[in-house]
Amino acid sequence: MQQTWMEIILTAVHDVGRRLAYVTPRLLAALTLVAIGWVVAVAVRRLATRLLGAADLDGRCRRSGLSMILVRGGIRTGPTEIVGRVLFWAVFLIGLLTALEALEMPGTAGALAGALALVPHVVVAILVLIGGWILAQFLAQATVIAAVNAQVAGASLLAASVRWMVLIVAAAIALTELGVAREMVLLTFGIAFGGAVLALALAFGLGARELAREALEGYLRRAREEGESISHV
Amino acid sequence: MADRLGVEDVLGPEGLAALEGLGPLELVAAVIAPRPVRSLPAVIEAAGAGLACAFPARKAAVLVAGGGGEGRPPGADPVPVVRIPPAGPALRGRAVLAGVAASRHLGARATAIVDAGLASFVPEWLDRLLAPVVDGTADYVTPVYARAPTEGTLTSNLLAPLARAVYGRRVHEVLGGCLALSAGFTEKLPPAEDWTDELDGHGVEMRLLVEALTGAHAVVEVPLGPKQLDPGAATTDLSRTLADAVGALFRTMERYTLAWQDLLGSAPVLRRGAPPDLLPPGGEVRRDRMVRAFHLGLKDLLPVWEQVMPDDTLRQLYPLGLLEPDEFRFPAPVWARVVCDFAVAYHERRLPRDHLLRALTPLYLGRVAAFVSEVQVGPPARVAEALEQVGRAFEAEKPSLSARWR
Repeated sequence: MQQTWMEIILTAVHDVGRRLAYVTPRLLAALTLVAIGWVVAVAVRRLATRLLGAADLDGRCRRSGLSMILVRGGIRTGPTEIVGRVLFWAVFLIGLLTALEALEMPGTAGALAGALALVPHVVVAILVLIGGWILAQFLAQATVIAAVNAQVAGASLLAASVRWMVLIVAAAIALTELGVAREMVLLTFGIAFGGAVLALALAFGLGARELAREALEGYLRRAREEGESISHV
Repeated sequence: MADRLGVEDVLGPEGLAALEGLGPLELVAAVIAPRPVRSLPAVIEAAGAGLACAFPARKAAVLVAGGGGEGRPPGADPVPVVRIPPAGPALRGRAVLAGVAASRHLGARATAIVDAGLASFVPEWLDRLLAPVVDGTADYVTPVYARAPTEGTLTSNLLAPLARAVYGRRVHEVLGGCLALSAGFTEKLPPAEDWTDELDGHGVEMRLLVEALTGAHAVVEVPLGPKQLDPGAATTDLSRTLADAVGALFRTMERYTLAWQDLLGSAPVLRRGAPPDLLPPGGEVRRDRMVRAFHLGLKDLLPVWEQVMPDDTLRQLYPLGLLEPDEFRFPAPVWARVVCDFAVAYHERRLPRDHLLRALTPLYLGRVAAFVSEVQVGPPARVAEALEQVGRAFEAEKPSLSARWR
């Protein structure tokens, strides 16, 4: 009985020691890899920023109008800084994934390979989001200007609706590209979009029929009045 | 590649065939008809009658440039009327270039360009337009119309004062709908590929004017009668009209930067004839609607305007948002500042250019409302005084505009 009790304790201590001996170097290796990844990421960012600064990327983008596209999209950071940040996070992410691989823990095996396989989809999703953001800003601006010039009340609300509509479409496309609950995203988007259109149709067809008629009449009347009263050129 | 405007580059096969056997000519009246308009037959007839009556001994023809004209039976007109469809899509600029290039090809010493939508065009106007070119005193003739103060407000409050400040010459009409050119002027015009940015809208006419103002060309103004446009010829979309006309002027500022940046002050253009009459205001002007458009712009377009105008300009606009239509004022110096800010923002491409130009519409309507309330009381001389104030305000902004234009 006493012997068995001792054996159990010794076995447990031995097992823990064995596991610690297994995990500790891997943990240290993972932490080292994270630290190295961070250092390399910082170095790559600084090198890229200097090289691109020397190549006058910001100036070139400003002259070509690319900087203005970013500003119109609400992005105030310069292209050099953006490229630097993207490189930093890409390198640091590789460091993190390598560290996960080094842990050799169940569930982390193949993380790097899996993540690398996802990269093209992530890139496409990011591009879709960036394009959607720029398109949303452009269309919202066009909408607010057109609505104000047509003297439509609530122009800002109309523009915000257009902006969110485009952003939601872009987000749905990006999520679909990433394969995140594809069916659920499509179904949710379809129901939400169809519901919004139906609600608008019902509002104008039933509830706000008179309002829509008056708005249209008022617009046409204004156009006639303007044409009669003043010539501009 | 030709280094001058050639007829082969702007006319289609049908147009080139129509010119065969027509020249050489001394005078040409080119009627610009990119689209069909009701006034076209009357304008063609007036142009033909003007050539036949005022210059009976000179060989002349009317060229109808554009796809808007129907064929006319031979012998129905006192001078030959020939359709010359331009190559490519039916755009206004193409039609103007086609008329100028065809006239040059035919050896004409004087060319009148007349908009087919200029419903008030009469034969006497052609004589007044062409005479200064024929007698050698002008290379570019521009009209001055008898106008009510409420007519041509985009010209009187924006295009003319900005052109005055930028190019240093005081022309009354910037896009007058008719003009005349000498052979010396048309000879120097650049080739067709240099005009590709200007083919839609009034860009070609604007650039012809600026070529005349910045080059060593004699510019003469001739008083004509009232200007009436065919209702079908002009768009009812004000923001589109504004984007077309103002965009064309801003583009010339980019193209001719070296010619204007160091100019200060302005000089009048030689006028041949008595100043035109000031007509009484015709029809009711709804200032309340214009002021409401301005207020709506201040409420909803502020995020857009913030990308165009600096804070000190916006600070001058905020108090105007509190003024009711009866007391609404938009001082000329503030207006001049606003327009110059838009010009700089256009040049720097801070917004998509069409958005930027259309975003000027509520501000323009505010300025028109203030101008109308300013000139509708008091003697007629008050109108000239108010317009002079606008011109001086733009001239005062010129140094700042030049400094910011990089």
